[in-house]
Amino acid sequence: MSVSSASLPAGAPSTPSAASMAVSWAAVLRSEWTKLRTLRSTWYLPTGAFVAALGYGYLFGTSNGRAHLAAAADERALFDPMESAFRGLVLVQLLVNALGVLAVTSEYAAGTMPASATAVPRRGRLLAGKAAVVAALVLPCGPLLALGSFLVSQAALAAQGAPSGALTDPGVPGAIAGAGLYLTLISLYGVATGFLIRRTAGAVSLGTFLLLLPAMAPLLPEWPARMLVTYWPSSAGLRLFAPAPAPDALPPSAAFVLLAGTALALSLAAFARFRARDV
Amino acid sequence: MIELRRLTKRHGEVRAVDDLSFDVRPGIVTGFLGPNGAGKTTTMRLILGLDAPTGGTATIRGRRYADLPVPMREVGALLEARAVHPRRRVRDHLLYLAQSNGIPRRRVEEVLGLVGLSPAAGRRAGGLSLGMGQRLGIAAALLGDPGVLIFDEPVNGLDPEGVVWVRTLMRDLAAEGRTVLVSSHLMGETALTADHLVIIGRGRLLADTGLAEFVRANSRDTVVVRTPEAPELAHRLREAGAAVRREPEDTLTVTGAESAVIAKVAMTHGIVLHELTPHRTSLEEAYMELTRGSVEFGASGSGGLGASGGLGASGGGGR
Repeated sequence: MSVSSASLPAGAPSTPSAASMAVSWAAVLRSEWTKLRTLRSTWYLPTGAFVAALGYGYLFGTSNGRAHLAAAADERALFDPMESAFRGLVLVQLLVNALGVLAVTSEYAAGTMPASATAVPRRGRLLAGKAAVVAALVLPCGPLLALGSFLVSQAALAAQGAPSGALTDPGVPGAIAGAGLYLTLISLYGVATGFLIRRTAGAVSLGTFLLLLPAMAPLLPEWPARMLVTYWPSSAGLRLFAPAPAPDALPPSAAFVLLAGTALALSLAAFARFRARDV
Repeated sequence: MIELRRLTKRHGEVRAVDDLSFDVRPGIVTGFLGPNGAGKTTTMRLILGLDAPTGGTATIRGRRYADLPVPMREVGALLEARAVHPRRRVRDHLLYLAQSNGIPRRRVEEVLGLVGLSPAAGRRAGGLSLGMGQRLGIAAALLGDPGVLIFDEPVNGLDPEGVVWVRTLMRDLAAEGRTVLVSSHLMGETALTADHLVIIGRGRLLADTGLAEFVRANSRDTVVVRTPEAPELAHRLREAGAAVRREPEDTLTVTGAESAVIAKVAMTHGIVLHELTPHRTSLEEAYMELTRGSVEFGASGSGGLGASGGLGASGGGGR
């Protein structure tokens, strides 16, 4: 084959019109979206998240419904169907976090990061573009995951003859929206740790450990346990999808500020590292 | 035009690139040579802003790479050919690169045609052969129709037909007035493509010279002589003004005397010759000699570098 560059269309290298425009945010977003959508893992993870949200919703609803059946009358009075509504999301968030991690670490694993950084030398723009398309994918999925978890868990409760909530109950629509926000911020944690650690296994393991750290609270003395449950971002963030306010927990607005602030701090750390290091 | 000025990159104590200054000019193919580990790839990464220099600058038409508004329209680079996600389709790999610099989608199909990958456009990149992967990397470099092209070992893994294709492409790109920098660790391959040579070893500049000039300065004729009376002939030839090196098994390597002169000296002193073979130093040998000092750790290298005196080597010694 003798393909010569004579068939290159634009004759003059680097035309003036090309020089006058700059790599725009829109171009970076379009490129990052193509990167994300053209990998199958991008679609496996949200699919898995939906399966997990519905599956756990069913399991938690059924098991709590059985517990209600077995409980004494005075315990039944304390039964809260909302306990089951979003519990599955604590595990679903691990998949959402992994989605954010993979958007970054798949580039390092495949060795495409040099090409990406050559195409978009402004590293902040590259990082922000990745974070934006991941957030844009998770933002609409989050409320749907919460909605699915809610509907399935309440149906499972009802099937066991236990009290169940309805979508129109006070606080429920807000909780579903809050869960969407929570999961979006968790996906940004994933993006940031992906840039910080660069390795899929390392970043996913660390994310899982940190997100599930509040589950260790019962092992700790009372004061640190209380601090962990109240202020650890992934624990405080649960207030975003709690239908009813809790007296000794942060209000949802403060929880949001804490969660978003942590995501921002991690992203800034990721940016500082990404900019300073050789790609 | 690429300009390097005192470019330096240290990894701890190791100087991967050491005070490197040279220009890469448009309209010609510049071969960037050095043994493996000489710092060629690091130099290219520094030019592309992937690594931050410890000192010095690398600019493209007077600007740092990071300051180029639409970099792919000005510089196209092939660093690692296998740098594609194995589960992404060939076309999509080029598409996201094109989109990032506002390059229209039809250009993706054009460069696929240009490198002969159109039939594989829908395949996942992981299934490409090494040669096809190399073609994909070249396609990516051509996406923005850039005036400056940087290729790191572009013929690695190509079949002979592909090697010829790359060679022709490099020459055509240069003929169109583009700046073309091509690295290789093989002199023979580079000599077939390049007009100008930049040779580095251990991160330092060893030669910055035209190919023809390099050939002229380094082609020395030697004659290999075999005789049972080697010590006697060596003595006589030295008397006649030739340089003689003793080799094992009755063999001499003679510089500075033609075969006819050697035969005559031998006959005059009644010495029997078993072999008399003229030998022209190849480009590869000249290159090996030049870079020997930077390959063998601890070798003084001064003997080998002596030959490069006329090459305009300017290793930045003027501190």
